[in-house]
Parts: sequence; structure tokens; C-alpha cells
Amino acid sequence: MANLNIDSAKERTFDAIVIGSGISGGWAAKELTDKGLKVIMLERGRDVKHIKDYPTTNMYPWEFKHRGQIPQDIQDANPVVSRCYAFREDAQHFFVKDQEHPYVQTKPFDWIRGYQVGGKSLLWARQTQRWSNFDFEGPARDGFAVDWPIRYNDIAPWYSHVEKFAGISGNKDGLAELPDGEFLPGFPLNAVEDYFSKHVKGHYKNRYVISARCAHLSKPNQIHIDQGRVQCQNRNLCQRGCPFGGYFSSNASTIPWALKSGNLTLRPFSVVESIIYDDKKGEATGVRIVDTNTKQTEEYYAKIIFVNAACLNTNLILLNSKSSRFPNGLGNDSGVLGKYVAFHNYSAHIGAEVEGFEEWATDGRNPAGGGYIPRFRNVFKQETDFLRGYACGLGAYRGYKHENDGFGESFKAGLASKDYGPWYVGSHMMGETIPKASNFVALDSAKKDAWGMPLLNISVDYDDNDQKMQKDYVEQLTEMFTSAGFKNIKAETNHQAPGLDIHEMGGVRMGNDPKTSMLNKWNQLHACKNVFVTDGSSMTSTSCQNPSLTYMALTARAVDNAVSELKKGNI
Amino acid sequence: MDRRSAIRNLALVMGSAAILPYCTPGKPTAHYTHFDVNLDQQNLVAELAETIIPKTTSPGARDLELDKFVWLMLDDCTKKEDRDAFFKGMGEFSDLVTKSYNKTFSECTKDEKHTILNTFEKKPKPSQKNIDSSDDKYSKELKGFYGNVHWLTVFGYTESKYFMTKEIVWELVPGRYNAYFPVKNLKAAKNG
Repeated sequence: MANLNIDSAKERTFDAIVIGSGISGGWAAKELTDKGLKVIMLERGRDVKHIKDYPTTNMYPWEFKHRGQIPQDIQDANPVVSRCYAFREDAQHFFVKDQEHPYVQTKPFDWIRGYQVGGKSLLWARQTQRWSNFDFEGPARDGFAVDWPIRYNDIAPWYSHVEKFAGISGNKDGLAELPDGEFLPGFPLNAVEDYFSKHVKGHYKNRYVISARCAHLSKPNQIHIDQGRVQCQNRNLCQRGCPFGGYFSSNASTIPWALKSGNLTLRPFSVVESIIYDDKKGEATGVRIVDTNTKQTEEYYAKIIFVNAACLNTNLILLNSKSSRFPNGLGNDSGVLGKYVAFHNYSAHIGAEVEGFEEWATDGRNPAGGGYIPRFRNVFKQETDFLRGYACGLGAYRGYKHENDGFGESFKAGLASKDYGPWYVGSHMMGETIPKASNFVALDSAKKDAWGMPLLNISVDYDDNDQKMQKDYVEQLTEMFTSAGFKNIKAETNHQAPGLDIHEMGGVRMGNDPKTSMLNKWNQLHACKNVFVTDGSSMTSTSCQNPSLTYMALTARAVDNAVSELKKGNI
Repeated sequence: MDRRSAIRNLALVMGSAAILPYCTPGKPTAHYTHFDVNLDQQNLVAELAETIIPKTTSPGARDLELDKFVWLMLDDCTKKEDRDAFFKGMGEFSDLVTKSYNKTFSECTKDEKHTILNTFEKKPKPSQKNIDSSDDKYSKELKGFYGNVHWLTVFGYTESKYFMTKEIVWELVPGRYNAYFPVKNLKAAKNG
């Protein structure tokens, strides 16, 4: 590892600093180094090298001592992360344990984190949908948050740019509300999903069930081979890290690419304490870190700084970057820093039994997970008693039939039966939430972590709009399932806290007006032009698409502008 | 008095017996993080597991050491209150067997073992004898004990290397997704 003990300021000076190595930080490093800049990437956690540091990736189920289950003492000590579906024996080493990194929940918030090189890009659900103009125009049309400073046409080329490199599988569905992208072949719908898709199309206006679009190499192109990645092998063990590079992660894709350029220095174990602002120069000059091993403070300097620490930690760093010019946090003239945090409403799901289709099953595994229903509520105009809407995951499956109850010889033989049981179908909601000033994060006034950083105090909650949307999801999906002839339909709502969706966004929102937003249309701090924020914290609104693809596109777009401005001497 | 009535009477007093020491005192023969177990307890769980997944032409619970898996999961992956309930239920189970047959579960015949297990099945087979499976007859700890041994045994079996390589083959690298897979193909392949 480079430069653990650098003593000269010159050796700690780079063209650009990237804070964070997750999905957006990886893109910042890749784009900046592609353009010839010397970059240091600061990651608070340990290094995770592609393949080498995926210790469980080739393990069989019986090789896990508890067959995947997390021991009870770990669950008891870490209730928040234990609620995450992917926190299992095979991937637990990629998750932050509650005990290790505490935070303050003024209101219940399940903050799911991955503190390592690659961040949560190792663990994400890999669903990738573009936003449309209906999404970017949402706040202005419906009168909430502030107007997005960009529209679909501003970001569309950058969606294409990142999709080609990351590798996105999907079909050209031709839907205005979910624009097509640069797709590798989509993963097909199975017999029941396909039936439901056709049924919905025939019975509902503007409702569609499409193949889920995901960041998997269904059929790699040369650009993916050049990254050292090969075709997705349908393992669906992605959360362990993929030895094939079958799905997109910083570890498999952007970081090794940037390292190969020779322009990237990667510094793990570096908690960014603050961004250094120089009052005289009127710009940020670098960042101050704490080395988590030595507890020593160090400074790194650069002309431009990309903040990609993941939504809430980016808020934390900016809030903690206080100077005489910015006593309330870097760039926070407006007072909106930390406010208008939003998330995705995953508070309901539905399941049913399906009669028929007995002649069909599936073979192998579908990394896309099945189908996706783009938002159909309030797309073209306001039509319900709540704002915005929800997308739906949709999947059908059938397994071998066996009895769970019983004992003895015939019971044992039955467990190995290869006769198929019935089909089941299920869906979950992914709802847009409305950013509000009252949903915010702030520095805790008293408590600090092991590195002397104030703890983050999180105060985020659902509202009436979310409740109405949940109700509508249950009603609409129940009706659609009933109409399709599905049986024994059971809708369930849950009371999961915000955060468990792992789609927290906002706090450093983009906007046209410096009085009401933190970032301009280039993800540049209005008040500190050489600092760029391109992770989830920059989101003005949340729409209901899985957000990572948009972070990637915003990042590549912001880098292009930043380097161009740098070359012009404007920053 | 016929046997059935005798058992019913015995079951009635069991509620009051529950507060009495319920484990056969015996020297610990295995040590876990949260508890020790004695030979009787080890034998009981091993025999129960073997009754649920018996050795046939293929390995059974003993061959696959599923009893050890039950103890491991009880130790590592079970809440304290559920663990405590497990031991209470295990004591009640042993007592019920002793009072019904005047011997330990291990000493029971296959038929007797099946009669006992059928008592605690969620869907007892009407064709099969049981002690008395009317609702509320047994404590939730007793039913929970059997339920836990059952699911952990079955879980351990279906996630064992044997099962996942010889019975229903689990693939580490499928390398394919066929969304429309004709069931008749599978049947032909398995029978062919």
C-alpha cells in the first residue's frame, strides 16, 4: 500500500481527491483518472481486492457453520444490521455492525452501511432503471422540494456512458416513463411473470410488467472483457463478491480500471474528518483524515474534491467541515444542509398462489430477480389523493414439492422429491417519499465516535403520503392479482423503519437557487466551487427507481464538467 | 385402567410437575457455550433426529451427525428464552415417554417412537397412532421442543453435503437461466 507515512505536503497533493469508494466514488475515480488527473481515493474501511478478498465466494451452503444464519449473540448486539435481508453468514463481513459504528436515532432509522473499499457496491441489489422527465419534473409539477436543476436530456447521454461500461441487462420496452438504455440482453420473464405481463397489458392502461433491468453481464462486450470481467454465471451469490465480475461493483470494475491507469492512489483506513476551506482563497484546499490504525491526523490537498461518502456520511462530513466562512458546515449558506432527507417506501408486499402453468418451471437462476412494474400512478397527471407513486418488484417461482411436516422413511424420501409444487407470485412496493425539512440529519451535540467525529443524529420518518401510497399499492396489486386469477392473495404491510430500504437520499440537494439548495446543476457546491457531491445526498427528490444508476450518471457528468472547468482555469 | 386413560391422567399432573427439576441429573458429557448436556439428553436428541430422518438405503441423521447440528444451532442461533424453553420441553418430553412406556425414548420400539412423534406433528396422521394430540394437552415448551428438533434436523439434512450433492444437487455455478423450462424435460432426465 502506498504512502502510509508521507511527510511532505507535496507528496500529499493530488489533482483530485475522491472521498469514498462505493458506487459513485468508484465512478468519480474512474472518470477523473481517465481524463489524466492524479487522484487519491480515501476510504474509511479496509481494502477489498476483487476476488482475493471474497472469502466466501466459492463456499457451498453446508460449508457455512450455521448454514447461512447469523448467530444470536451477533443479532442481539446488532439489531439494526440484523434486519437487513442480505446480512447473512456469507456476507456479514461486508456489513457495518451497529456496535462498531454507533449513531443516534431520534426517530428509528435502520442505517445499513458497508465500510470497505467498494462500499455497498458489493452488496447492492443491482437493479438499474433510468429516470424519465416525469421524475425530474416531479417536484416542480407537484409543488414539493425544489425544482431539479436538470432534466432528462441533461443526463441521458451520461446514462448511456455509464451503462455501456457497467453493463446493464434489459429489454427495449419503449416506455416514456422508464426510458430505454444501452442494454445487454435482458433476462426473460418466466411463464407466470410473462402471463401476468400480458394480462396487465391487456387489462390496464399504462401499466406494464417488464423484465427487471440489472447490472449483470448477460452477454459481455469488449469493454467488459477489458475490465477483466466475464459473463454472469447466474450464481445469485452476488453479495459475497463475484469472482466472474458478473455484476457491476467498484471492486470489479471502476477501481481496478482506475488503478490500471496509474493515476489512482487508494488509501483505505482513512476517515475523513472534514474538508479544509481556505478563507483567503475562497475554496477548499483539501481534506483532513484520521488514520483508523494509527489514529493520526493527516491532510491531503487537491484542486477538486469529490464527496462520495454515501448519503448520510457525506452529510456528516459537510456538517463537520466548519470554518469562519461556513460556521454551519461547508457550503451551507442556505441552512438546508442535512435537511430534506428522503428514502424509499418499502412498507408493503403481496403474495399469491397461481393455478396452472404446470408444464413450465425454470432452470438455473435469474439474477434480475424477475419482473418490474414501472410507476403507473400520477405519471402523466395527478390522479390520486397522494403525491407521486411507486414501482413494484414482481417475481414468480415454483420449487420442488415437499412436506415440511412428518417423519420417517417416506417423509425423508419426500424431501428429495423432484415433483414440482405450485407456482407462487409475489411483489413488493418501492414508493417515492417526499423530502421535507423536518426529515433531517444533524451532528449530535455531545456524542463522538472513536475518531473524534460527532455522531450523526438521524430524524427521519414516514408521513401521511406514505401511508396513503401504501394503501393504494395494496389495493391496486390486490386488484391486479385478482384480475389475473391468482388465488389466496395475501398483502402484508410492515413497519420497517426508514433506512432499511438502503435508499436514503438528500440532505445536500441540487437546485437552481443557492438560497434553497446546496448544489448547482453540475453537483457543485453553490458556495464552494471546487467541491462536488455526486452520491445519494445530492438527490433533490427520490422518484421510485433504484437510485444507483442515477448516481453513476450524475458522477460521470459532474466529472466531465469539473475537469473542463479546471482546464479553463475556472476552478 | 386402559393405557390411554393412564396417559391422560399422567398428562394432567404434568402441568404441576413442570416446576420440578425436569432434567435427569447426569454428568455433563458435552459442553457448549450456553449449556452442558448429559448423555441422556444427547441420546434423546440423536434418537429423535434419527426417527425423523432414519437411515435407509441412504444415510440417516446419525450418519450425518444432525444431532450435533441441532445442539450447535441451539447454542449459537437460538434466543435465550427459546433455549430455556427447549430444555424445559425436553424434560417434559422425557417424562411423558417414561410415563407412557416406562422406558426412555431410545429404548422404545420403532412403533412406539412413531406413536410419540405423531402426537406432536402439526398434521398428525389419522392412520397412525398417537398418544393424545388433542389441543392444549401439552405445554408450548413441550411442543416447541419437538418442533425445534424437527426443523433443525430437517434443515441440517436438506443443507447437508450429502443431500445437496446426492439428492437435490445444488449448483455453485449454474451458468444458465431458462425461464421456460418444460417440466417434462426434467422428468425425462431424472427417470432416464
